[in-house]
Amino acid sequence: MTQTEPEIDAVLIPELITLEEPPEEKAAAIEFLLDRAVDAGRVTDREAALEALLAREEETTTGVGMGIGIPHAKTDAVAEPTIVFARSSAGIDFDAMDGEPATLLFMLLVPAEGGEDHLELLSSLSRALMHDDVRERLHEADSKAAIEETITEAVA
Amino acid sequence: MERTVTVVPEDGLHARPAATFVETATEFDADVRVAPADGDEPVDAASMLAVTSLGVASGEDVRLIAEGDDAEAALDDLEELLTTPETESAAESSSGT
Repeated sequence: MTQTEPEIDAVLIPELITLEEPPEEKAAAIEFLLDRAVDAGRVTDREAALEALLAREEETTTGVGMGIGIPHAKTDAVAEPTIVFARSSAGIDFDAMDGEPATLLFMLLVPAEGGEDHLELLSSLSRALMHDDVRERLHEADSKAAIEETITEAVA
Repeated sequence: MERTVTVVPEDGLHARPAATFVETATEFDADVRVAPADGDEPVDAASMLAVTSLGVASGEDVRLIAEGDDAEAALDDLEELLTTPETESAAESSSGT
């Protein structure tokens, strides 16, 4: 299963990119992101997905610094790998070690039986986001298409 | 100086083990970098984003590189951390990564 790394353009669809401002509180922002996936019909059990996401945050924050939050979970509540993207202009306190509020939010939901898929997605996304110009372009993008293009290009 | 260590915790270099790793690396004056043993450029061990980007799974080897006065102490602490299984069962939560 490890050789079938999920392709980013199959995972990141325009419907799951939002330009709307998420709530400023962490748990509420996580629910906001989850609801984008729920509305897109990607989640069969909202409560189970939310519980898995919050359990992961409880273990240790997914605020990885540099203004990025990547709440994620492996859960039976999704049938296929799903990424939701939102930007916060206000910044959300994600308890990151570097103290930076999260302004770029990526939610990853991966089926429980997905093996190492979630680690692959998490690592390729993180690798892309380490580049200053990628984060800058995501902040400046004025359309869903521009965001999708930036992420797809950076991860490829 | 550098050292190659096998990552023992079931989560690999993710979630809590990664957070503890980054916190520990930050505690030392030495500049610590980490890389998968099989190649790739070493990244800043004090950055959670950088450590997450490596995608190191349990059972894989990492190369730890430390430079500075307390480099050896830093390597000792980081090695101990990476070779200690987590006390809490990872199977307890299906969300752990």
